[in-house]
Amino acid sequence: MNRPMIELRRVHRFFGDTRAVDDVSFEIPAGEVFGYIGPNGAGKTTSMRILATLDVPTYGDAFVDGFSVVNDPDRVRRRLGFMPDYYGTYANVNCTEYLDFFARAYGLIGRERAKSLKYVMDFTGLDGLAEKPIRGLSKGMKQRLCLGRAMIHDPSVLILDEPAAGLDPRARIELRRMIRSLASDGKAILISSHILTELDEMCDRVGILEQGTLLATGSVADMQDGMRATPQVGDPSVTEIHARVLNTGASLGHWLADRDGISHVVVDGEIVRFTYAGDRQAEAALLREMVLAEFPVVEFAARTKSLEDVFLHVTQGVVQ
Amino acid sequence: MSAGDVTYSENQNGDDASGKLLYQLEQKLERIGERLNPILVKEVRQALKSRMFVIVFALMLIFGWAWSIFGVLLVLSPGVYYNPGGPTMLCGYFFVLAVPLIVAVPLMAFWSLAGERDDGTFELVSITSLTARQIVTGKLGSAIVQMIVFSSALSPCIAFTYLLRGIDIITVFWVLGWTVLISILLSFFAICFATISRSVMWQVFLSVVLVLAFLIAGFSWSSVVVQTLFYGSLPVETGEFWVMNLFVMMMYLSFCLLFTLAAAGKLSFPSDNRSTKIRYAMIIQQLLWVGWMIALALQERDPGVFLVFASCAGFYWLVMGALLSGESPQLSPRARRDLPQSFLGRMVGTWFNPGSGTGYIFAVTSFLGFILVTAFFEITIAVGDGINWSRSRGFDNRLMFAGLAWAYLTTYLGIGRLILLFLRRFYQLGIVASLLVQVILLVLGILLSASAQVLVNGFQNNDYTALQLGNWAWTLAEASDSRGRLPLEVPILIFASAGVVFFVNVCLSLPEIKAVREATPDRVIEEEKELHPERFTEKGGPANPWSDDPSPGSGAEKPSSPEG
Repeated sequence: MNRPMIELRRVHRFFGDTRAVDDVSFEIPAGEVFGYIGPNGAGKTTSMRILATLDVPTYGDAFVDGFSVVNDPDRVRRRLGFMPDYYGTYANVNCTEYLDFFARAYGLIGRERAKSLKYVMDFTGLDGLAEKPIRGLSKGMKQRLCLGRAMIHDPSVLILDEPAAGLDPRARIELRRMIRSLASDGKAILISSHILTELDEMCDRVGILEQGTLLATGSVADMQDGMRATPQVGDPSVTEIHARVLNTGASLGHWLADRDGISHVVVDGEIVRFTYAGDRQAEAALLREMVLAEFPVVEFAARTKSLEDVFLHVTQGVVQ
Repeated sequence: MSAGDVTYSENQNGDDASGKLLYQLEQKLERIGERLNPILVKEVRQALKSRMFVIVFALMLIFGWAWSIFGVLLVLSPGVYYNPGGPTMLCGYFFVLAVPLIVAVPLMAFWSLAGERDDGTFELVSITSLTARQIVTGKLGSAIVQMIVFSSALSPCIAFTYLLRGIDIITVFWVLGWTVLISILLSFFAICFATISRSVMWQVFLSVVLVLAFLIAGFSWSSVVVQTLFYGSLPVETGEFWVMNLFVMMMYLSFCLLFTLAAAGKLSFPSDNRSTKIRYAMIIQQLLWVGWMIALALQERDPGVFLVFASCAGFYWLVMGALLSGESPQLSPRARRDLPQSFLGRMVGTWFNPGSGTGYIFAVTSFLGFILVTAFFEITIAVGDGINWSRSRGFDNRLMFAGLAWAYLTTYLGIGRLILLFLRRFYQLGIVASLLVQVILLVLGILLSASAQVLVNGFQNNDYTALQLGNWAWTLAEASDSRGRLPLEVPILIFASAGVVFFVNVCLSLPEIKAVREATPDRVIEEEKELHPERFTEKGGPANPWSDDPSPGSGAEKPSSPEG
């Protein structure tokens, strides 16, 4: 049976009058990295904690590999690795002792435990710091250790809450590589982050959450296309195009200004910027016409809507 | 998961016999080490490196050495050959050891769990495969290891006291043994306390309460030890001494079990059945209590024993009843999967199901059962002794006392539960709130009755009147006093109110009582079949006499989908 590895089914979580999570549903199949985006207080951590069996929904249920997080938390826990937005490390313990403890806690014994420890140390690049006390580790190394802890029992599902927070660019790139590698091993990964460019490159699909409500889900490309499809001037869905022509910038500006669907033409020497309400086919046709009109075009690029644009478009910036 | 070669303690076997023996021993120890509770391993690693442990250990050693020098100078006077210096030296070492054992170790156990709950590491542990019981016993195991380390460090000094006059080996072991046992019980208590709240403010408050409790326990036990060492000797040659020790030990173990289950219950997942095992432990305690009461009554031939035991049982069921009736009235689908199903099973087992209503009925009926058994045995003993039991000294008083105690328990617990049910419409309240409501009710019962009497009669009449109906303390004291005269309307009204409150509570508990077993989801059965194929037999039949549910997977069980 091809069941999703993670499934939220109409999950609600209320704290008094606050609706931290309000009717959220989505599914994540094996091998997919799902990005969870939302402003602070949107309900990302709450829904992740529900999936990690650290909280229970007020209504609805969530499932990991078909097991309910409410009624079968022990079965869910065997399949799940959780990395919260805090380190959760112990004093007076070194890296090996820390990972060894969690390996034991997940029931790994003997050779199996030694094997897991070695694999995790290698994977996270902590093998050189095995005997180092945790309090002496840098932020990035602590993040690696926490990722190692989450995957010590080889779970099929990983839930990572803000794993890239506070990391330097190199550490972020390495984290991204590690997460993609885990997904290629067939793990379903739910990841939240405020660094949207990170998720843009890492995730197969994203879900945008605001005020506890899931506003949109889908791949980043689908969302960008969805924005593009709305042909309203002044709307962020209108494509911004940037063209560069040799010595004929002003002429191109005039030529463009007379055409339908084009607005906000700005000429800056050889560079001409304008907005265009049309799909990709129309953009291609416009370029062809510019060439046929004998403009020496050396650059023609539609500025791609980033995940940040999508996020800003979908959300209203309301926090609770 | 791919991994490289593993170097997992594969030492080469030595050629010589001793090498082989050592190798085998190492292998065995390694296997034992693998089976150790992970929390115990981690806690010991942490605790032995912690600053608090090092400071306490160093102080204990310093005071131990100081007392060795000072005590020896004191004892090694010219009268050393005939003066009993053993008790003095042992007493000194006892105090040096008592502080870490009775105060420091339980407090470290409290902070160990409370600290983990505060900094979030507990959450990470709770989502591993460890059970809540393993977490509690691991913490306790670490406390015991610390006790062993502390005791071992002072053991040469204590052994030295045995060489002196005035002390025997049984006294040394008795003093040290009970000191360690008290320390273990206090550590259980501390771990239970640490599960109450996650808020730092509460934890600080609780730790202050705990320190006070430990100091009181320490002073009480120290006075017993000083009394034993200097002003008397242990009556080791009498049977009563050993019987009394056995009695205390059995009650001690039962409380350890109760504390473990209670702490594990508080730490477990909300949908888990947190209550049934605790209720079994309570029944075990009640049986032990009844057994010892009968044994003591038979030996002493004193009916007053029943009154003392009934008073303690009443207090016990009041506290337990308050905690049980504070449970959530909602039964989770997970807990419903294991509910008894047959008529007999439901009749007996329903009261062990988690829930506020079943908890109330469980406490009230358990105490009633205790009273009935007590009355039965008192009559049996009286008849056996050829006494007309109905005219035996104070029987009426004891019966009235027990009856009124039950009625008060039923009424106060019932009203407390109704208040809690009402408050739960607006707030999320737990078992601590339930206990608090009960304490307030009991105090109000006394204060309101006293105020009513003062308002009606002024300060002139200090005799017991019917206005003291709500004053459980005075009414029970009057009932147990052979000279006391309770107005007839008092017991009638108390029993009537108990009946009404009990009836209302039973009516409100009907949804809990009528709860039926829920089918196990397909996905769970599917995995169980993979993990434990031997449990899934072809033949379907009752799994046990209390259940008419065929063994899982036989097909008679109606499966449900996860969304069900």
